[in-house]
Amino acid sequence: MNPDHGHATQTLTELRWLRRRTRVRAHGGAWLPALGIAVLLLASSALYRRPFASTYGISVDSPYWAGLPDEQRDPLASYLFWFLGTPLLFAAVGLWYRWRSRSSGLRVAWPLFVSTGLGILLLLAVLAAVPQQQPQQLDALNSSGGHFWLPGLLTPLVPIAAAVLVLGWAERSRALTVAGGWIAVLTVWLCGWAPMGYLPGWATDLLGGDLTGPLDGVPNTLGGQIAWRPGIWLILMSVPLVAFAAARGWQSWRVSRYG
Amino acid sequence: MADSPLPTEPPPPPHPALALDDVVHQRVRLAILTVLSETQECRFSTLRDELSLTDGNLNRHLRVLEQAGLLRVIKAYDGRRPSTWLRLTRQGRAALRAEVAALEQLVARLRAANADHADGDSVT
Repeated sequence: MNPDHGHATQTLTELRWLRRRTRVRAHGGAWLPALGIAVLLLASSALYRRPFASTYGISVDSPYWAGLPDEQRDPLASYLFWFLGTPLLFAAVGLWYRWRSRSSGLRVAWPLFVSTGLGILLLLAVLAAVPQQQPQQLDALNSSGGHFWLPGLLTPLVPIAAAVLVLGWAERSRALTVAGGWIAVLTVWLCGWAPMGYLPGWATDLLGGDLTGPLDGVPNTLGGQIAWRPGIWLILMSVPLVAFAAARGWQSWRVSRYG
Repeated sequence: MADSPLPTEPPPPPHPALALDDVVHQRVRLAILTVLSETQECRFSTLRDELSLTDGNLNRHLRVLEQAGLLRVIKAYDGRRPSTWLRLTRQGRAALRAEVAALEQLVARLRAANADHADGDSVT
C-alpha cells in the first residue's frame, strides 16, 4: 500500500473516531429537555374536559390555551399551565445544561432553544391580547370544515414545536428535528382547520379516502373528521420525543459507565 | 484550406494534496478543529486532556489557529475561577470541511491508483 494512502486513511479514521466521541459527550444531555417537553405535552391532556372519552359535541374558544381546539376544563388553568410551566421547564433545562458544561467542559447552544421557545410564547401572549370584534366560537356539531389559520395558530403548542426544532439544530440531532417537525405539522393541521382532525379536500384526495374511513368509523368518508380525542394526539406528539430521550439517555449512561 | 486545430486535452485536475492547508493539516491542529466542530464551545482544560497535550503545546497550536482566524479564545469565569473557552469560527469550520474533503479525495485517488497498479501486476 502507498504510505501516503495509509497515512491519509488513518488520519480520516482517527478524525471520525474523535468526532463521534466528542459528539456523544457534548450532546449526551439532550435526553432531559426532550423528556421534559414530552412530559409537559402529556400533562397538558389534563387541561381538557374529556381528554380521551368520546363526545357528541364540544364548544371551543380561540385562542386555544389548552393547546388543541377542544373543550378545556378552565381557560385560566390552561393559561397558567403553559405560561408558568414552559418557563419553569426551560429554566430547569438551562440549569441542566449549565451543570453539564461545567462538568464536561463542552457547551451546547441551548440559550437559542430557550429564547426561541420563550420568545414565541411571549409573541403568542401579545397576539392573543389584540382586541377582537367577536370571539371565535366553534361547535364541532354545527361548524362546517374550513381553515382557520391565524386564530388557529394562537396555541402554546407552536412555541413548543419551534423550540424542539431549534433544540434539534443545537444538539445536531436529526431525530429531534423530525420530532419538532412532527409536532409542528400536527399542530398546524389540528389547530389550523376546524373541527379538529378535519381533513382538507386535497388531503382526502391524497389519501383517496382509504384512511379517513377506518379512523372515524365511517367507511369511505371523504372530507370527514378523524374522531380522535386530544389525549391521543398529545400521545402521538410525544412518542418521538420519548423514544429519542430513551435512546439518548441509554447511550449517555453507557458512555459515562464504560467510556 | 487551413487545417482545423487539433483538439487539445483538458488539463489534468490538480492533485488533491495541493488542496491541503499547511495550517490545518498538522495532526494536532486537525484534531483541535475536529473537537471544536462538534460543540459550541470547549474548555481549554477539556481539550488538553482529550488530546493528551501539555498546556504549552496546546497553547502553541491555538495561537497558530487563532492567528489564522480559525478559532476564537474566550476568557470567562466559572463562578470565581477564571476559565478559557474555545470556539470555532465560520472560517475554521469551512477550513476543516475543505481539509477533510481534500483528504477523502486523496484517499480515493490513491486507492484508484493502487487498484490500477494491482491490475497491471496481475496482467503481467
